Amino acid sequence: MAQVKATPKTYDVVIVGSGAGGGVAAHVLSLAGAKICMLEAGEWFDCEKDAKMFAWPYQVPHRGAGTQYKPWGAFDATTVGGWQVPGEPYTTAPGSDFMWWRARMLGGRTNHYGRISLRMGPYDFKPYSRDGKGFDWPITYDDLAPYYDKAEELIGVFGSQEGLENTPDGKFQPAPAPRGYERLIKSACDKLRIPCIPSRLAILTRPLNGRPACHYCAQCGRSCSANANFNSPGVHLKPALKTGNLEIRTGAMAREVLVGSDGNATGVSYVDKKTRSEVEVRGKIVVLAASCCETARIMLNSKSSLFPNGIANSTGLVGRYVMDTVGSAVAGFLPILQDLPPQNEDGVGGMHLYMPWWLYKEQAANKMPFARGYHIEIGGGRGLPGAGALGGYPTQFLGGGYGVELKQKLRKLYGCEVHFAGRGEMIPNEDSYCEIDPHVVDQWGIPVLRFHFKWSQDEILQAKHMQETFQQIIEAMGGTVTHKLGSENNWGIARGGEIIHEVGATKMGTDPKTSVLNQYCQAWDVKNLFITDAAPFVSNADKNPTLSITALGWRTSDYIAGEVKKLNVKV
Amino acid sequence: MPDKDQSETAGVSRRDIFQILGAVPAAAAVSAHPHMHMAPQEAASKGPYKRQTFDDRQWETVKVLCDLIIPADERSAGASQAAVPEFIDDWIAFRTEQDGHQNLRAEIFGGLMWLDREANRLFAKTFVAAAADQQKQLLDRIAYPARAAKDDAPWVAFFNQFRSLTVGGFFSSKVGVADLPYLGNRAVPEWKGCDPKVWAVIEERMKTGYKGILEAKPWGA
Repeated sequence: MAQVKATPKTYDVVIVGSGAGGGVAAHVLSLAGAKICMLEAGEWFDCEKDAKMFAWPYQVPHRGAGTQYKPWGAFDATTVGGWQVPGEPYTTAPGSDFMWWRARMLGGRTNHYGRISLRMGPYDFKPYSRDGKGFDWPITYDDLAPYYDKAEELIGVFGSQEGLENTPDGKFQPAPAPRGYERLIKSACDKLRIPCIPSRLAILTRPLNGRPACHYCAQCGRSCSANANFNSPGVHLKPALKTGNLEIRTGAMAREVLVGSDGNATGVSYVDKKTRSEVEVRGKIVVLAASCCETARIMLNSKSSLFPNGIANSTGLVGRYVMDTVGSAVAGFLPILQDLPPQNEDGVGGMHLYMPWWLYKEQAANKMPFARGYHIEIGGGRGLPGAGALGGYPTQFLGGGYGVELKQKLRKLYGCEVHFAGRGEMIPNEDSYCEIDPHVVDQWGIPVLRFHFKWSQDEILQAKHMQETFQQIIEAMGGTVTHKLGSENNWGIARGGEIIHEVGATKMGTDPKTSVLNQYCQAWDVKNLFITDAAPFVSNADKNPTLSITALGWRTSDYIAGEVKKLNVKV
Repeated sequence: MPDKDQSETAGVSRRDIFQILGAVPAAAAVSAHPHMHMAPQEAASKGPYKRQTFDDRQWETVKVLCDLIIPADERSAGASQAAVPEFIDDWIAFRTEQDGHQNLRAEIFGGLMWLDREANRLFAKTFVAAAADQQKQLLDRIAYPARAAKDDAPWVAFFNQFRSLTVGGFFSSKVGVADLPYLGNRAVPEWKGCDPKVWAVIEERMKTGYKGILEAKPWGA
């Protein structure tokens, strides 16, 4: 390895990671006047130049089908990353099943994510107080509510005012009208008394801060050339760069937080991937936002005489209580939709309606076999045909056949599919955590993570409930269930990490003995070390994490800005 | 493969989007968009397709079989004109590389062998050279799983697989997308949700049911 290069300049803040958490910190702090150096392990990405909008599957090899290193297909915005990153392995402990999605690019996973933007509710901050499982957050919904407002107003979220239990409404743009199959699903849910309401996605339906409204091509996962959906480079970083206060270094793989003799962080040491050399960047404050588990990895690898178990890890809790989301899916086929007059059912990139958790009363009355809840995400209709479109229909629905008759039948069956996916809360447990694998390093010479993961009965029974509920909804529409899973498959519960909602690993709390961070996501052990990704999460409500990362990261950044002013943090 | 060219033609800048969302109707604007003109035609625009999987004899059989499964009709061209044989040839090579085994390739190759072997046994011809009614006689044996003979099970499985590739390749092709028709992947200036006329049909079917290819029962109370 080449000689270590140190940058002479000392920045106010060094931020590791450029996704939702790093992005919001850079946005808030650069506008507050802080001089920032941001490290991103991947390369530059600009949605206005790099998105693959309007391309057709038949224009690219293999109809754009997924590959080992491009698992979600040729058009997915993730340039480098996926379940595997070349040269950057991770391991799983015997008996554990865990998948780790990483996006090595500017903006990280915000470039391709589902844009689902749900506020955690008042119950979600105090789960232990409600059912005795897991932990309470050191903050309440009211503490975070103003930051949810700010986050929604900056990134742009559509939705509707509903006033439902533990499902807070927000500062919403108007929601897009539902598609045909979605109205049908709502009719079935009305019969079954399951609330079905406009979804809440970070996609503009009205222009905002110079960004145009959505043009409804449904391909948000490719990233948007118009910058009409939320992504960190286009929404957080662009205005931050305009201040002149933000410098972004790409290809910078953070390895270790550096510590001074006083125990404070002094900066970050990273590998410059192009030159394979070690570089040190100095900062008065260090913000980690490398994604929950990568943040824990950096901390555990930051060993010094003051912190032999890794920085800010006097409790040994760094890496503990990793949570993902409970996922289980059912697919159906709805004959009622066959041979309808054709229409464009694209809409935004994602569902226009969804079902928030609705059985709070039953749960409170001890009538449910599991703790916590889930929401339902839906899909279907006349979507963009990719490889394999309608391929299974002849055997699935038509008893076989070939020729003109088959062709004519097939086109009439197009658009009849619907999909239901549950997204539910996982309770933190002692068997789900990440640690440094003592035997394996990546190509940058950085020890890698080893994952331990286990679902509890609460999650498995929740998946069972999902399967049964989704089948009920499909049957209520006169449909056929085409994909379901039963007890032999643990009710189709997703593998750990598979829903890509990892949170936890450096939990917040009120007591330095039982938590890594205080309520401002400031390390108890290292006063100028903060975390703004999902690692501080204390629980993982069924509300997808990105909006809460943004709100919590904003609150933390406000605190950092205030502390700098009050000189409580040594600057 | 032409990854680079295509990602470039696929990119649409923000300025282009504003133009697309301007006064002209979106569909007209998109088709008038300079980038869209550069969209490659299936197989045609980049010179002849280079086969990776099938030999000459298999290739003739594959083309005939594709068109027997998805022939031309009054709405659209048949599978071979939609470059489905090329899709299948490429897909088998792709899956063989991705999956690290040759199971799909073996299943398709084996089935093609059987078509010729059986055509030769019964008609003393290759499958391609056999008369239309002779081809039909063979396909009818393997195209309807529920009524196929037990001994034909491997060839039924082959045909299921081959038909799935043909159907999937066709309906994801430019010809197939227009056939369905899929009307999206374009800029829509104003989103209005489900067409009220379509919703009226759905609501009517909820009340009275619908007897189409598959029956939809009325919803009841």
